[in-house]
Amino acid sequence: MSATAVTAAPPGAAVAMRGITKRFPGVVANDGVDFEAAPGEIHALLGENGAGKSTLSNILTGLYRPDEGEVLLYGEPVHFESPRDALDAGICMVHQHFRLVEPFTVAENVVLGDHRDEGGAFVLRRSEIEEKVGELSERYGLAVDARAKVWQLSVGEQQRVEILKALYRDAKILILDEPTAVLTPQEAEVLFVTLRGMVAEGRTVIFISHKLHEVQAVADRVTVLRGGRSLGTVLARDSTPRSLAALMVGRELDDVLLRGSGAAGREPGELVLELEDVWAPGDRGEPAVRGLSLAVRAGEIVAVAGVAGNGQRELAETIAGIRAKTAGTFRFLGKALQGGDPREAIGAGIAYVPEDRLGTGVAPSLSIETNLALKSYRERSLSRGPLLRLGKIREGAVNLIRRYSIAAPGPAAAARVLSGGNLQKVVLAREFSGHPKLLVAASPTRGLDVGAIETVHSYLRQAAADGVAVLLISEDLDEILLLADRIAVMYEGAILGEFSSADADVAEIGLLMAGGGRASDEN
Amino acid sequence: MNNSLLVVLVASGIAYGTPLLYAALGELLAERSGVLNLGVEGMMLVGAVMGFWTVQRLHAGSGISLVAAVLVGALAGALMAGIHAFLVITLRANQIVSGLALTIFAGAAGLSSYLGNDLNLADNPARHNFSAVFPASFQRWPVVGPIIFGQNVLVYFSWLCVVGVLFYLTRTRPGLNVRAVGESPAAADAMGIDVVKYRYIHTLVGGAFAGVAGATFTLAITPQWVSGITGGAGWIAIALVIFAFWRPELCLVGAYFFGGLQALAPELQARQIHLGPTELWTNSLPYVMTVVVLVLASASGARRRLGAPAALGTPYVREER
Amino acid sequence: MRIERRLELPRWRIVAVPAGSLVFAFVFAGFVLLATGHDPLSTYRQLFDAAFLQTGALGQTLTQATPLAFTGLAAAVAFRMRLFNIGGEGQLYIGAITAAAAGLYFGTSGGASAFAILAMVVAGAAGGAAWALIPGVLRAFFKTNEIITSLMLNYVAGTLLTYLVFNTESYWRETSGFNATVFPTSKTLPSSAFWPGLTIHSQGVILIPLGAGIAVLIAVLLWVLNTRTRFGFEVKVLGDSVRAGRYAGMRTRRKILAVMAISGGIAGIGGASQVGDFSHMLDADPNGLQKQYYGYTGIVVAALARYNPFAVLVVAFLIGGLQNAGNTLQGPDFPSGLVGVLQGIILFSALGGELLVRYRVRFRRGGAASVAV
Repeated sequence: MSATAVTAAPPGAAVAMRGITKRFPGVVANDGVDFEAAPGEIHALLGENGAGKSTLSNILTGLYRPDEGEVLLYGEPVHFESPRDALDAGICMVHQHFRLVEPFTVAENVVLGDHRDEGGAFVLRRSEIEEKVGELSERYGLAVDARAKVWQLSVGEQQRVEILKALYRDAKILILDEPTAVLTPQEAEVLFVTLRGMVAEGRTVIFISHKLHEVQAVADRVTVLRGGRSLGTVLARDSTPRSLAALMVGRELDDVLLRGSGAAGREPGELVLELEDVWAPGDRGEPAVRGLSLAVRAGEIVAVAGVAGNGQRELAETIAGIRAKTAGTFRFLGKALQGGDPREAIGAGIAYVPEDRLGTGVAPSLSIETNLALKSYRERSLSRGPLLRLGKIREGAVNLIRRYSIAAPGPAAAARVLSGGNLQKVVLAREFSGHPKLLVAASPTRGLDVGAIETVHSYLRQAAADGVAVLLISEDLDEILLLADRIAVMYEGAILGEFSSADADVAEIGLLMAGGGRASDEN
Repeated sequence: MNNSLLVVLVASGIAYGTPLLYAALGELLAERSGVLNLGVEGMMLVGAVMGFWTVQRLHAGSGISLVAAVLVGALAGALMAGIHAFLVITLRANQIVSGLALTIFAGAAGLSSYLGNDLNLADNPARHNFSAVFPASFQRWPVVGPIIFGQNVLVYFSWLCVVGVLFYLTRTRPGLNVRAVGESPAAADAMGIDVVKYRYIHTLVGGAFAGVAGATFTLAITPQWVSGITGGAGWIAIALVIFAFWRPELCLVGAYFFGGLQALAPELQARQIHLGPTELWTNSLPYVMTVVVLVLASASGARRRLGAPAALGTPYVREER
Repeated sequence: MRIERRLELPRWRIVAVPAGSLVFAFVFAGFVLLATGHDPLSTYRQLFDAAFLQTGALGQTLTQATPLAFTGLAAAVAFRMRLFNIGGEGQLYIGAITAAAAGLYFGTSGGASAFAILAMVVAGAAGGAAWALIPGVLRAFFKTNEIITSLMLNYVAGTLLTYLVFNTESYWRETSGFNATVFPTSKTLPSSAFWPGLTIHSQGVILIPLGAGIAVLIAVLLWVLNTRTRFGFEVKVLGDSVRAGRYAGMRTRRKILAVMAISGGIAGIGGASQVGDFSHMLDADPNGLQKQYYGYTGIVVAALARYNPFAVLVVAFLIGGLQNAGNTLQGPDFPSGLVGVLQGIILFSALGGELLVRYRVRFRRGGAASVAV
């Protein structure tokens, strides 16, 4: 904190949160946080995952009540009992996972729950609200058809609906949680223009992010959170990505940390995974992986970079056998695999760390030992014919808990009591115990705190050093630059370009992530 | 002409279908808010017995007695639904088990029978009952006579209810809100809609409808009290909601169709018509058709168009931390 | 009032909640009895006498408890995988139909024949399993919600049962004799297809039906299956998270089909036991077997037993006693419907009590102090 100047809050802050403390069983999510945002500014809330950004915004939107501290709106103290109170006070939030009713039209979603003109608002006048929503979307350049059903819209359009909901209610304060995670850089630019238009009218935008560059690009001021505490507020134009990063992580970062060490002397080995012109459907049946080709060798970390929703999850699930490919060839250690059968993939030596940790990676209510044996229970060592060897399962679990230093009450405790980092250790311990040839890791550090992220990174590096082929799928470019030997950029279900990490150019990667460089794409 | 099979079937289909229609409208409202209530049969029976009790014990004119009886039946049904609502909405109990428990608690071997017995209702026929409102000369008109003019007030009122529920769900703000609650409670909550309140209200109103449905049996169809008088109509009503794709106007069509099927077997027998194993297919057709509809509805892609509330049967928890 | 999920489940509550629900139900129903002019204490004494103490009471209670044990085990095995098979009722009817056919076909006059009895058990299991596989296949291949389909099929099975004896001259229907011309009835099984029971001389004669023994055996097998086998491991995982199971390479479809077949098979043996142990004919009367609601009550039994097979046996015995007492005491001086009311309240309070196991309820005033309960 000493390295940066802390600016004084301007008079008449739109939002002032003072000494906010919120405790959850076992954690202090917010510890005396101070935060102020002025009318007419875009104020970024910057911090690592687990720094307390979501808790703070959930307090501001009435979802949580603070244990200590006060919230002031335009100087008046407020006490929100529910999200409705916050809405009525003019605070709207665009969540990372949209809160939209899919079978409803855009207009219906926008007017949902609106109760400002009680009495006269009993009857729903469709054409009237559609017209109103149409006007609104035109005025703010949020192009979306008011009559379209939400489930038919793209992710970017759905985000516009969320913003329209706030504008329809004439929200004075708009909170956006990681809004660019689902957008291409171009779409993000359009969003930034919209946001600037909104603050020009005197509204306040609170922009939650952990991405340094975009915080710099869009925000007027930045408040940094770390470990549940606020570390102060800086002017965006006075800061550099490096100074913000230092604040966020809590120490000066050297180049090695910002830019990975690359292959670090490792010689890539034999070809492990080969995908050629692979196609696979998404959840709605539309093609999500479209003619993708990719190769990963033993002992190297190949990262797939891309904006969320470009088929990365479908790609990971296709390799792990959870999703069946519809076309293309999939060779593993030179042998063609049919795909579409997780058991085949596991048997071949493909380990998979899924993005959805609690629910796919582990069965939440079941014991840690069950989850550690989730894939190996079929093996000779743990079962005899149809019968399980419960003693061996327990023994193996105790060993893994010790070896990976998983902080758990015991092997019989339910997985859901574990913290995110320990949960990920359970997944990694299980996946590595199968002695895989290939590890597919999808957003393996999402939502983890800094310490856990470093642990996960070290396991991935160790795996590569041990000769495992590692395919890292991540939306976090910083993480990719840190770990990868090669970087493949994925856009709309295909790989648009590949770089060795030594000569990776962030600008070029960013352009490819937006689909630049593929001419046929402008439709 | 008015004795032709078709006219008789339609007329009695409407009569038998009316309790199905009330019960289905109620279940539809609850399900649209995301609450599956399998206790319809139990709520109907308690509504039936309390409605009958009112008409027997209230010393008032026919009109007042009957209106009061319907209201008491509705209140009784709502009370029963209140138990389910508290268990599944506030305490987040399993909706299936709670609904079945409600049927056992209130049903033919439970509270309705207890009340019927303790209030000594089984001995006498109803003192007043709903009968056709139009004069006999109207009822002799060809076709429309028996079908339209031969019905009682509860039938006409049920038509009003269909229009009312349809208008409510599709043309009003609260209707929009309740559909959002059943579809995506998280989205509704984020927009300041009180999910718990909406679910309570619609479950309770659903119970009230079921109570009226039960009272239709004891006050109109067979004006007396017999333990278990509804004879499984509550289960048909649950099937009907699915059969009608959660739409009130289709509930009306489906209710009369299922009602007509109930009248079909005895009518065919009386007319010496043999159409295969009549008793088997007329009695099982509502259930078989509902299964078929469910299968068609679960085919991918169809789900969205057919309108099963996405959050049906799942409790809503705002804060899981 | 706010509700938070408990991180660790306190062990004592697992026993205390069902016991507490039982006590609460009797106290609460006691007030209902008082309010309606009955003496709760004497009513309960009557109830307890008729269920467990009177001469012959235990035998009658076993008669009620045996089918409940089967339907309870059937529900427990399916619900454990979160397959909500509420078709135990219909699966029991179909099991009775197929077992009766087997008994009629293979039975001869004379002493009990192991072959005929075995044929009935197999036929009952096959019939129930086949009926349960209809919603099972629909769920596995079309993702059709099994709750409603299995429920609907109960009524189809009931209609079929009635039809076979009342509306058509089927294999099951008695066509000769004076009675058959007056009132439709089913054929009586040949005596070698009567299931033998174990007789114990204590407080009169207690007959332990063969079905009760089979139910205990099934409970043991299910316990082994649940806790000791790969199959049980997979069912446990899929019951908690289908995605995790699929991720781990488990065959979801096969497991759905297998569990539905096992569940339906158990209910079907329950139907076979109805025919072989008790009625010795196909009870198709709409006011007979179909008014017992063994299938639905079995779900209640399973829920109260928290899907543990041994607990199912215990709960089935208790609920069976309650049912038996209700049947025995029917009459002017015993409140009818009390048994259903009691069962309902027991279940309601058990469901509510479940909340105390899984969650911590906090009451707060004004957002400041919070009191944990």
